[in-house]
Amino acid sequence: MKQIFYYFERDMRKWTRSRINVVSSLVMPAAWLILVGLTLPIRFTDNYLEFLTPSILVMTMLFSSLQGGALMIFDKVLGFLNKFLAMPSPRESILLGKILFISTRGLLQATVILLIAALLGVRIHSPFNIVLIYLTLFLFGVLFSALATTLALHISDHDGYAAVNSMISMPLFFASNALMPYDQMPEWLRMLAMVNPLSHTIDSIRELFMGGVPVEGIVGLAVAAGVMVCVGTVQFRRTGV
Amino acid sequence: MIEINGLTKNFNNLCAVDNVDLEITNEIFGLLGPNGAGKSTTVMMLTTLLKPSSGSARVCGYDVVKDAKKVRQSISYVPQDMAVDIKLTGRENVMLYAKLYGVPDRNTRVDDVLELLGLTGRAGDLVRTYSGGMRRRLELAQALVHEPKVLFLDEPTLGLDVAARKKIWEHISALRKRGMTIFMTTHYMEEADEYCDRVAIIDQGTIVALDSPENLKLGLGNDASLNDVFLENVKTGEDQTGFDAYKFRTMLRRR
Ligand SMILES: Nc1ncnc2c1ncn2[C@@H]1O[C@H](COP(=O)(O)OP(=O)(O)OP(=O)(O)O)[C@@H](O)[C@H]1O
Ligand SMILES: [Mg+2]
Repeated sequence: MKQIFYYFERDMRKWTRSRINVVSSLVMPAAWLILVGLTLPIRFTDNYLEFLTPSILVMTMLFSSLQGGALMIFDKVLGFLNKFLAMPSPRESILLGKILFISTRGLLQATVILLIAALLGVRIHSPFNIVLIYLTLFLFGVLFSALATTLALHISDHDGYAAVNSMISMPLFFASNALMPYDQMPEWLRMLAMVNPLSHTIDSIRELFMGGVPVEGIVGLAVAAGVMVCVGTVQFRRTGV
Repeated sequence: MIEINGLTKNFNNLCAVDNVDLEITNEIFGLLGPNGAGKSTTVMMLTTLLKPSSGSARVCGYDVVKDAKKVRQSISYVPQDMAVDIKLTGRENVMLYAKLYGVPDRNTRVDDVLELLGLTGRAGDLVRTYSGGMRRRLELAQALVHEPKVLFLDEPTLGLDVAARKKIWEHISALRKRGMTIFMTTHYMEEADEYCDRVAIIDQGTIVALDSPENLKLGLGNDASLNDVFLENVKTGEDQTGFDAYKFRTMLRRR
């Protein structure tokens, strides 16, 4: 499946050629961390920065993965998708190439956040846990970029996609433990936050930051990502014929 | 090369392509027809992008539904709307296709097609800086990089100036001489007349005329042009599509 890499290469080249895109996607999450972490007047925990860094990491992956669905919309609206679908390469390689690009881009953004957090004094002691943080974020990125790209395959225009995007990202973000620990939440919000995949991922990353290894969290995420990729693969194989 | 039997495509209750039978040999075949006649829909079924509602089609001996992958290996498709990556260079655009098709010895092959379409001098520039005619030729270069047996072109000269259109047609004719089958759609009757071996006129999804341009013109008598043949056969006028040219003009005048 070399084609996956070729599609990845195409998106990567297009992305890196537009400096504004690169700068904005690397600066924005960092700005979030600094703004929210240092200036928010309310603090729910003592070391709020350490509490918040995992949230910003996962949030960045979430937003950037869902935003990545727009790539598919562009390819579709502008006619690229039809050209690709008329080629003999397996159709799912289009999906997998997108997933690879979107997740890689997300991890680059995550790296910026991790570096800034380190500058601000957040420490992760075991290198193994850093690797696991990347793995967890990657799996999360795969899950949501597969979802986004598959949804985009069925949505006909940009406005429609933007609507779906905010319909998914906003509730997931606000009904999660990203900004508030569970014990500070009202009961109804806690119920929602507990079943939210975003919260689980944030929990896993927090545990990794503190030196633990959340095996269950990572395995769960891997399974979810695997299922989503399979669903997307079926959808892509089915397009047209 | 292409056999089409009772090919039909319905969108909800609109019949876009209605029971079309065609046989296309090694030739330049032009599919003509008014807007919305079903040209693009036909091409998309033949290129495995749309599933026929009924009927069947074979390209190079392979069924477009059952052997879709084999069909895709034998053809190239250039859609109606131009789709080239403007943030990549011309060479990168073609190289992507060479890689995706798994073309052997791809560096040489990419250089060859760029040369063939007269793009070598600008191959390293971003496509953003290309003219419409160059972008069309770039799309042709992408389509030719894996040496397809059948080339599907959906309105390849749309929106180009006279010189650029002539250039595209010269390339298409040269491909035909090298043994490629070309299935194309166009709105330009003079071009179809000059370059196509045979044309079919499709109206509201049905083939209403099929022959060489010469024979079609002869059928109408002396001095008839392909335009006359077209107008004679096509019943869908502007009035039927709900567009009233007279009203539109008076409306403009009142402004
Ligand atoms: N995806 C679709 N859903 C519903 N109707 C469609 C769809 N695609 C095409 N149609 C309809 O099918 C008919 C044929 O469309 P098609 O695009 O094949 O026409 P065409 O001959 O290529 O026209 P043009 O010269 O304007 O490109 C039109 O009435 C069009 O509105
Ligand atoms: Mg068309």
